[in-house]
Amino acid sequence: MSTVLKISHLEVDFEINGVITNTPLRGINLEIKAGKTLGIVGETGCGKTLTATAIMGLLPSSAIQRGEIEFGNHGDITKADMADIRGSEITMIFQNPQSAFNPIFSIGAQLTMVAQRRGISDIPATLTARLESVGLRDPKRVLESYPHELSGGMLQRAMIAMALLSSPTLLIADEPTTALDATIGDHVLTLIAALQKREGFAMLFISHDVTAVAKTSDEIAVIYAGRVVETGPTSEVMKSPQHPYTQGLLGAIPSAEKARGTLVAIPGNVPSVLTNIKGCAFADRCSLQMDKCAQEPPTVQIGKQSVACWAVNS
Amino acid sequence: MSEVVMQISQVTKVFPLRDSKVGFKAVDSISIDLHKGEVLGVVGESGSGKSTLARCAFGITEPTSGGTTILGESLVGKSRKATRELRANLGFVFQDPAGSINPRMSVYDAIAEPLMLAGMDSASIDTRVNFLMDRVGLASSQLSRKSHELSGGQCQRVAIARALATNPKIVLLDEPTSSLDLSVQAQILNLLEELRRDFDLTYFLISHNLDVVSHLSDRVAVMKDGVFVEVGTTRQVIDTPKHPFTRELIRVYSGASCEFDLDTWQDGPLNRWAFQNVSTFLPTKVIAASPEPLSLDIELDANLDAITIDVADSTYTLPELLADVDTDSIVVVRKGVLVYEKYFNGMTPDSVHLLQSVSKSILGALYAVMAERGVIDIDKPIAFYLPELVGSVYEAATIAQALDMTVAINFSEDYSDPQSEMARLDRAAGWRTNTTGHDLGLRSFLRTMTASGEHGKAYQYCSANTDVLAWLISEVTQTPYQDLLTRYIWQPMGAHDDASVIVDREGLSVGNGGISCTTRDLARFGLLIVNGGRANGEQVIPAAWVNATFAGASADVESADYLQALHPGGSYKNKWWITAGASREIFGVGIYGQYVWVDPTSETVIAKFSSLPIPVDGVHSRKHMALFRAICAQ
Repeated sequence: MSTVLKISHLEVDFEINGVITNTPLRGINLEIKAGKTLGIVGETGCGKTLTATAIMGLLPSSAIQRGEIEFGNHGDITKADMADIRGSEITMIFQNPQSAFNPIFSIGAQLTMVAQRRGISDIPATLTARLESVGLRDPKRVLESYPHELSGGMLQRAMIAMALLSSPTLLIADEPTTALDATIGDHVLTLIAALQKREGFAMLFISHDVTAVAKTSDEIAVIYAGRVVETGPTSEVMKSPQHPYTQGLLGAIPSAEKARGTLVAIPGNVPSVLTNIKGCAFADRCSLQMDKCAQEPPTVQIGKQSVACWAVNS
Repeated sequence: MSEVVMQISQVTKVFPLRDSKVGFKAVDSISIDLHKGEVLGVVGESGSGKSTLARCAFGITEPTSGGTTILGESLVGKSRKATRELRANLGFVFQDPAGSINPRMSVYDAIAEPLMLAGMDSASIDTRVNFLMDRVGLASSQLSRKSHELSGGQCQRVAIARALATNPKIVLLDEPTSSLDLSVQAQILNLLEELRRDFDLTYFLISHNLDVVSHLSDRVAVMKDGVFVEVGTTRQVIDTPKHPFTRELIRVYSGASCEFDLDTWQDGPLNRWAFQNVSTFLPTKVIAASPEPLSLDIELDANLDAITIDVADSTYTLPELLADVDTDSIVVVRKGVLVYEKYFNGMTPDSVHLLQSVSKSILGALYAVMAERGVIDIDKPIAFYLPELVGSVYEAATIAQALDMTVAINFSEDYSDPQSEMARLDRAAGWRTNTTGHDLGLRSFLRTMTASGEHGKAYQYCSANTDVLAWLISEVTQTPYQDLLTRYIWQPMGAHDDASVIVDREGLSVGNGGISCTTRDLARFGLLIVNGGRANGEQVIPAAWVNATFAGASADVESADYLQALHPGGSYKNKWWITAGASREIFGVGIYGQYVWVDPTSETVIAKFSSLPIPVDGVHSRKHMALFRAICAQ
């Protein structure tokens, strides 16, 4: 199976007023196969969205980016390549559909702009068919509507339609259901899965919600403080998490089955982006901490999982 | 059970609306007791009314009617002082911790403020604040900080300390962890449980997150559209959910895969989504709405919810039975007036739903119109119109025999056997993945059907007979099937919304079960039948055909055991099922629980969509019959 996207040693930091900050992305390695879904899971500030922004080539000018992002046949892509790839071969849907659309243009006007830019002929028919394919059964009304006139679920569907107008190879979905009610969000996830089956695009699915990622992804990557700490097939990672952080995260999910007061509560907080991290970023919250953790842990292979942890290593 | 510390009785909250006299009923007469030391969790989605209920119950908002008693005393009609004293028993923790702490106050001041208001002296306040800081896991070094200097989890700890300052007995937790990361949420949930145990607190917890609610609560109430659709112990609700919405929530939170599968979309639980969304994964064509839709008078009959129905050794209320048979929606029209309407599982009056084989009954009506107009002669063999079927079963079988399901055909309608002709038909129609290299489209599949005996003698249900008729009529008229339905049925009957029909890879309509429409429009179709074929003062379908359908099949036609077991003396005619019951009802039915039920005696029409987990079984069928007859008997 061919690889659609390969990210190697991606690092990002920011230069602000001549001062280089600490590194919010400290070495991201990821690979997405054609037609498959890679889920990125992590908590606030871990670098999920920053990774997506880097792939899209949308980092601000103050950002310094190192490492490679190889996309399909393009090889390592530069910012200049990205102008052509972004929005056509790689498209993206965002967390908050209300703010992703421009409030002063109708949905139809905004979809038309995208369709024109993609050189689509017979735009009205294409837009109607596209909206129908995402389960919006009154395309005419949707096209005439302004964003505030549609529900969150409908807007998210409209955004999916917009993202798929160019038949992308890769769809990046950044928290696509976080702003929606659980049942509506579930419908959107099922819709994306159905469309993926039909159209064959690969997907990078980003969420803080472990359950949502587990539901949708073939492979999962757990990010902590700007580094991938564990990757592997979703079923394996969910069944036998190897990294102490992944174990903690799964143990923290509340449920009726777990006795009250006994959830795994990882002590402390996610380190701020301003923290200067040396060695393993998770060490001071980790029950397995040892001397070696002051050094950057290497990534080791355990079965089908890759894990960056000294404790697992020894 | 321990003493009742809070009694919520008949709380209703109506918000006025500019364009409506009635206003919006956010909470609809909810009553529930909180017992000392328990956690009552209310779970619901945004707009379900859970926060409004909590605000009414805790005296933050005045309810329109009903009220709360706290430790036996009513919250309303008290002096300010008495109200304040009573309120000292209540604590509050809200979703946004940073927003519920004054940004200009230090942590110390935030926790001390309620104590000062309660008139405590400064030395005691000092002791109390330090005690609370310790109990919520904060270091005293943080007392001088302000909210922006704290993390979300720390802020929520301060909010909890403040809520507990005056030693309340009952604490409202309104989405207490929704803005926190998972690992921090776990810390706060553990803390809340620890504090509850140590201080003997009672929690009223509300959240959209079923995981949080079911983890922390002794009892769970599931809220939707202003009412509790289900209340029980957490174990009862999670292990044996009664209401479809509860089941849907549990499924969503179970982590069950969203993986869409073209081979299992018709089965539960995927069908709960798929039946409302076929156009997202299969090609469809539009059956257009009428420019002048038939308006339905609405006069809801509240008595219907109270009826009880005895079936399958149990007694159900109507809402219970609707939940039991995985109802997605139901519309009841009695003597032209819409008297009952319910939607579940994300459906609304605007949602469309797959009709499955109720689609056949719509084809039956179209053929009545076509025959009357002389477009076709139903006594001619099918191959007379479709010569490419010469050599197949349809060389000799007539249109009328296909309409009445008396074609003798080698066809197994077994939905569970992947080798059955039914499964082949699904593959040909594109309803399943097809890697066989055969049956590429309905036409090529239908050509391979063979006869098993003499036609017209015995009833034999066979879905292919309807597909061949959908093909035939568009061939004869040189008009796509969906356009014929638009012109002769959907618009004349006054459809309010567009419907659609699934087409195969060659664009041929799947007549056997491919139509999706709204629940109200299916009821309008039923109305057409109960009104003798008339709508909007026009004869849309010939009255003679309607009468012939009600009369049922000729007694000479050999019936089937399963049909006689369900409907003694019943039969199948013109793509309708005839019950031969006392009320002479007829109906159209589709697998997984789709119905249009027409009772000419009480002039009642029922349209019902469902997403049963399995295609068909006797128990579900009996429950539906009992359900419809009980409604019609009102």
